[in-house]
Amino acid sequence: MIGPVLRREFESTLGRSAVISDPAQLRTYECDGLTGYRVVPALVVLPESTEQVAAAVRLCARERIPFVARGAGTGLSGGALPVAEGIVISLARMRAILRIDVANQRMVVQPGVTNAGISRAVAGHGLYYAPDPSSQIVCTIGGNVAENSGGAHCLKYGFTVHHVLALQVVLADGSVVTLGGDSAEGEGPDLRGLFIGTEGTVGIATEITVRLLRKPESVRTLVADFPSVAQAGDAVSDVIAAGMVPAAIEMLDHLAIEACEAATHAGYTLDTAAALVVELDGPQVDCDGLFEQLSEICHRRGTTKIRIAASEAERAAIWQGRKAAFAAVGRISPDYFVQDGVVPRTRLAEALGRISAMSEEAGLRVANVFHAGDGNLHPLVLYDQAAGQAERAERLSHDIAELCVELGGSLSGEHGIGTDKACSMPRMFGQDDLAVMGRVRDAFDPDGLCNPGKVLPTPRLCGERPGPYRPHPLEQAGVIERM
Amino acid sequence: MGDDALAASTRDRSAGTPEPAARAVACPASLAEAHQAVRESTGTVLVSGGRTGLDWGGPVRDPDLVIDTTAMNRLITHNPADMTVAVQAGMRLADLQQALAPAGQWLALDPPTALAGPTLGGLLAGGDAGPRRLAHGALRDLVIGATVVLADGTVARAGGHVIKNVAGYDLGKLFAGSLGAFGLIAELVLRVHPRPPASVTLAVPADPTAALAATQAVRASPLEAVAVEWDGTRLLVRFEGTADGVAARQRDARGLDRLAGAEPLVDTAEQDAWDGLAAAAYGQDTDTVIRAGTRPDRLPDVVEALRRAAGPAGVTAELTSSVAAGVHTARLRGGDAAGHAACLRDWRAAVRDLGGTVTLRRRRDGVDDLVPAWGPPAPSVGVLRALKARFDPDRRFAPGRFAPWF
Repeated sequence: MIGPVLRREFESTLGRSAVISDPAQLRTYECDGLTGYRVVPALVVLPESTEQVAAAVRLCARERIPFVARGAGTGLSGGALPVAEGIVISLARMRAILRIDVANQRMVVQPGVTNAGISRAVAGHGLYYAPDPSSQIVCTIGGNVAENSGGAHCLKYGFTVHHVLALQVVLADGSVVTLGGDSAEGEGPDLRGLFIGTEGTVGIATEITVRLLRKPESVRTLVADFPSVAQAGDAVSDVIAAGMVPAAIEMLDHLAIEACEAATHAGYTLDTAAALVVELDGPQVDCDGLFEQLSEICHRRGTTKIRIAASEAERAAIWQGRKAAFAAVGRISPDYFVQDGVVPRTRLAEALGRISAMSEEAGLRVANVFHAGDGNLHPLVLYDQAAGQAERAERLSHDIAELCVELGGSLSGEHGIGTDKACSMPRMFGQDDLAVMGRVRDAFDPDGLCNPGKVLPTPRLCGERPGPYRPHPLEQAGVIERM
Repeated sequence: MGDDALAASTRDRSAGTPEPAARAVACPASLAEAHQAVRESTGTVLVSGGRTGLDWGGPVRDPDLVIDTTAMNRLITHNPADMTVAVQAGMRLADLQQALAPAGQWLALDPPTALAGPTLGGLLAGGDAGPRRLAHGALRDLVIGATVVLADGTVARAGGHVIKNVAGYDLGKLFAGSLGAFGLIAELVLRVHPRPPASVTLAVPADPTAALAATQAVRASPLEAVAVEWDGTRLLVRFEGTADGVAARQRDARGLDRLAGAEPLVDTAEQDAWDGLAAAAYGQDTDTVIRAGTRPDRLPDVVEALRRAAGPAGVTAELTSSVAAGVHTARLRGGDAAGHAACLRDWRAAVRDLGGTVTLRRRRDGVDDLVPAWGPPAPSVGVLRALKARFDPDRRFAPGRFAPWF
């Protein structure tokens, strides 16, 4: 319980304007981008510095109060869902760019700086920050570190973990440490890499040193329409087999295109079954050669139309259409769930076939927009809450994520596990695997105060019943057996 | 595997003593056998692979059991169209590259130990990487799944078989640079890349200041070098891609002021230059080899600090550098153990004053008696100790490896 005495202690430590306790205001923090889960926190604090974050965490540690760090609240897995009786530590006021080092191509920022804000700050130097999640205009780098965010271009450029050199972190006891360092190689285990993607469960990053890249000399973007999803998929396979690593290969199915066009008028063809957005970037000569090869592949696989972005503005429009896809679905359906799962790229066609069958069986439409190059699916399950379809839609969405695991993939490619999928984790990992992840968490946060209830399943969250059966690695090897 | 099988793979030390001396050696050929070897062990354990980095970090003296992973050398699955491969961790890098070659793929990793037969598990535990790190990262960046055996016999798996995956904690990162102190790496799933059709390397004579300036010029250009290395006298700049592309880029690179006078290395000269650089960073038996990381623009200071440390110590010191990554390798030769120890101590202090990190790799006999393997611990060592306590509470794996930190 946070009583008035403790509240005043937070106020005297952080300043009165940095503490929110008014019930109406607290309610604005009750959920993140996954609005189906809502919990009103007991208190919200808005620190402005590492010292203030550490001071707030020390108070929590002393009083055994759980805390949840929050960036822009754009997360889609309930990773920033508050804990009742706990506090939310919002990093929204920590928006300073601390150092820009052009010569060494890096920047030190506070966690509340937006993803796009980083690139904007160094655009004049011809530099940019590579990971580009669709929410990049508003999502923060602190949230990106927590989720190990990727984006459309991660096929070539990788994820947040590949672009962060060092982190200043406030641990669960309020101590401050640096993980990673000035170079690409440190001393001993890679704690920086271990921290990134832990979804706020082992500490709060308060300063982030990001790597900046030189903007590519040439960027070539095309949209290729195909008469079927299968043909588009074949084209993607051929691109990979040809040894190309495009910056991005995105696929949209008919329903997704319809939504995007309704929202952005980006110029996608409305009467096509599927479209690929392929982007090549790099040095001019390499890029031109590969682009020719790419066009040939699309023609060989029966493209009905190729549109090549003729200007930076046209390229931006194509991407705006693609990145607005999630929100755009609101134009064609009153409600929808965004799913995020990964299958081995070679099983994309199978996955889409199964999803289509599941969609029919549930009597709900599913729009597909996904990163085809790396098998990261984002099925959008459309439903009408008013018509009582919510529960069915949620089940379908969860079934799709678990289907991805069944096909040898992952529960999440970029949205994270958070609250939403913690109870699905036993589908993907065995008891021992999860217990060892638990040891990591316990090493950082023995009292379990740091974003509890996220990522790892708990009996309280998921019930006492053990997860569904999946074979232990030793069982697969034929060494041990269970009845 | 039954007791007999374990006995068959466990030899008395008289059957062939590896360095460092161990009372017994187990040679598991599978995850199951590795699991059994760990579970049935009671004393201290040293995991060994290709023995290219077995002495990095602090010395591990007289382990009760050495688990030699080199019989775990199978490729488990290669999915060329998914750009992934699963291997047993005792597989040697060279064997993997050979297996990937028919598909036109490779693991984009070129560590200095490459010619000495490193295994993939050893490379991950050593945290090693070579010049192409600039384009593809270190092995930690290419591992997408890992299966490990912990000291209490727990077998745990993290990650998976897909490149894009954020489900659960990434245990592979904890084992990257773990130097065998957190458990045994049994299997790995790796991301592979297409082998580029063409490569060209430019070489230009450069002192440290010129090397840094040229590196920054290349990095500020859109030429996308895959490697930029200083070998002590020359800067080597490598481009890979299509034949037309690399031809155009080397031409454009030579047009940069800072690269005026750069010449392409033709025929065998290109491979020789890269092999020479690897050999210098790997060192030889009587050498001391130290790896340091700093901000890239510290290169001239790092070189100057090494000169100052080596002179009074009476040792010959050479430095090679992955300039853009800020990773430097010093190789000490000549002199005696006291000189090597003094040079290590002084240079380490100087590098750390510059905000850098220092890892001792191989060292001349006697150095360990004179100087600790690690400098003063950073505040994050508390996290490492807490992790060690939960992964190996009895400190059985590689005891002494991170002494005096834990």
